[in-house]
Amino acid sequence: MTEILQVSGIHTFIGPFHILEGVDLTIEDGDIVALLGRNGAGKTTTLKSILGLTPPRSGSVTFLGEDLAGLRPFEIAQRGIGYVPEHRAIFKDLSVEENLKIAEREKGDFAKRRDLILGLFPDLARLIDLPGTKLSGGQQQMLAVGRALVPENQLLLVDEPSEGLAPVLIEQMMEAIREMSENTTVLLVEQNFIVASRLATKYVIVEEGRSVSSGLMADLVNDEETIRKYLGAA
Amino acid sequence: MTIVEATLESRSRRISDRLKKVKGQAAILAALGFIFLSGLFSMDTGDWMITVLRGLSVGAITFLVASGLSLIFGLMDVLNLAHGELFMLGAYVGWTVYVRPDTFMDVLLPLGIITAVFLAAPLFNRLSGRVALTGTVGRFVPWALVVVGIVGMVLVLPRFPLSIWSLDTFADTPVSNSLAFDTGVQILPPHATFDGSAFILMAVLLVSVSLVAFGIALFKKTEAQAPRVTARSLAPAIGVLLFAMASLLLNDVMTDWMYELGTTYRFFIALVVAAIGGFGLGALIEMILIRPLYERPIYQLMITLGLGFIIIEMVRSIWGRPEFTMPKPALFAGTGEGCPGTGVSGLFSGCSTVKVLDTRIRVYNEVFIIAIGALVLLVVTLLIKRTRMGMIIRAGVQDREMVEALGVNVRQVFTIVFALGVGLAAFGGVIAGPALGLSSEMGSRVLLLALIAMAVGGLTSFPGAAAGAVLVGLLQQFVTKLGSSGIPLPWLDEPFKPSPSLVPVSVITLMIVVLLVTPQGLFGREE
Repeated sequence: MTEILQVSGIHTFIGPFHILEGVDLTIEDGDIVALLGRNGAGKTTTLKSILGLTPPRSGSVTFLGEDLAGLRPFEIAQRGIGYVPEHRAIFKDLSVEENLKIAEREKGDFAKRRDLILGLFPDLARLIDLPGTKLSGGQQQMLAVGRALVPENQLLLVDEPSEGLAPVLIEQMMEAIREMSENTTVLLVEQNFIVASRLATKYVIVEEGRSVSSGLMADLVNDEETIRKYLGAA
Repeated sequence: MTIVEATLESRSRRISDRLKKVKGQAAILAALGFIFLSGLFSMDTGDWMITVLRGLSVGAITFLVASGLSLIFGLMDVLNLAHGELFMLGAYVGWTVYVRPDTFMDVLLPLGIITAVFLAAPLFNRLSGRVALTGTVGRFVPWALVVVGIVGMVLVLPRFPLSIWSLDTFADTPVSNSLAFDTGVQILPPHATFDGSAFILMAVLLVSVSLVAFGIALFKKTEAQAPRVTARSLAPAIGVLLFAMASLLLNDVMTDWMYELGTTYRFFIALVVAAIGGFGLGALIEMILIRPLYERPIYQLMITLGLGFIIIEMVRSIWGRPEFTMPKPALFAGTGEGCPGTGVSGLFSGCSTVKVLDTRIRVYNEVFIIAIGALVLLVVTLLIKRTRMGMIIRAGVQDREMVEALGVNVRQVFTIVFALGVGLAAFGGVIAGPALGLSSEMGSRVLLLALIAMAVGGLTSFPGAAAGAVLVGLLQQFVTKLGSSGIPLPWLDEPFKPSPSLVPVSVITLMIVVLLVTPQGLFGREE
């Protein structure tokens, strides 16, 4: 297995606040890695630091063998990273189709993957001409994931895909992410440990801005002590 | 949340959405209703029509400024307070191309050489990477290059040929130029010549500007190796240089051609030149002044305010303080036999006025300007609704960070939108010139109207800017008109006449009322 992403010892500040104080993680081709930790531990900031939205002040992020330091977020994304942000960030003035098309990096990206995306989320096909405002929370989440699939990405950063979704929709979302991971590697931030444990093959736990534990998800599930220590009652 | 709760919530949200929309429409309807009623009660139909047309015309000019302002503010949160001044600068540049094509042709050569050198930046960046300068020498050399280069430019530029008006001799001031143009007795002065050897002067200018560009490249030298210089990256520079050379060789021919071309075509050339010039200047302003300050919005506001003052003083020192007119192009200036025209066909008869409902309508002021405003509205709306660029703008207004995270170079889009906005303003300046005349204060007056139009329409909404501009224009013209005819009120013996000083007040009152009723403006959306 080849290494897709290597994050080593990143420190990130947001304004005067030292949010990440040394996060390490390695992602190999085909993994679904769950980034776990309590609220405010620095999971979302880790994703944003990888993308350069909150550039790390020290440490390094290497993607497909290339150091990403100094690159602007759009340049990092263009190297093949898709992003599904917390709270979806669907563009309200754009139709569903435009919300997908805006993610094109080359003309025709969407046409090429239209069937794949609409196959994963049949709901979107029905809503394709509606403006982003008309979508329910679940539909927005599907659109946000679909949008990350439009260009060819080697890595998807997915932030809280199950947040605020009804149980039925969570199942559908998990199914979609599992299907996606056959083509792409996924780094997943997930509060819901049950969802994370069923989806991910590996895990990294972040605690107060530091990565404190990592390994195979199968081992973590049986390690009640670690779960209790870092993730609270599970 | 249960499904029932969810449906209830979405229903109540839908109703409140509906209400909000209706509120905006009600405000527009109320304003229109006021206009129709006051028209019915106090003026005859002809007066009423002319007032509506004048209002739309003011609205169209306001819109040309407000559209750029609102696009720029919506996408990048920059309130460009120099926008009115750029509108004014556009008018003056347009006037120059229109009335003094010889001056315009003369300026092209030095401007072309300077632009070409700066477009060759990739070359200088690459070269600066080859030079290893350290210590005191390394700090000193870039400054020395820039200073020597600027001195060279200052020495050489006045020796380039430039036939220009004079601010001291009254017979040759812009005021007199315009008068002579309008009466058809304008004679262009003999073509100017180089003060010295043309070849040497151009070579010195080229070297001087290159020194400045190289010095700047040394300043911003970074660790990273600059990309290789390819023929493609130098193509714009070479193109502009060739264009400058052509403008030198063909200077006499082109000047005479533009002069022979007739005023209508020259007016359209002036429009295009001002729009392109505005686009270039806008891109430059964004890259040099605005871009370094995105983290500090207050400084951006201050810098655009200062830029506005600089432009005003620059215009005063080049074109002089007195106001002057911009003669109308022949297409809209016909008089005498067969004029004024009548009805719709009269619009195309070349007369300056047409008679409709026994009222004289000025074709340029009260028809052409409105048509141009509508055309620009259509084109920009299509740009926003139908192109990928427009899609990125609409998305960026809401969430810039996410657009960037999708792999879109948002900063480049910023530059283009800023340039586009300034181009529109400069274009608007030329359009407004023949109707309003040229003065260094014309910009601040329009800017005030445009800002109010933006606030009324919802700061970041493009259709809002258009609707706001039309409302502001109509209201302003109706209050002006009613100031002379008066509003007959049943409980007063004399008709009530709003005084002229109520005109600006009325527009601001409109803004206050709209903002009190719908704080996010007519078309704005709640944050």
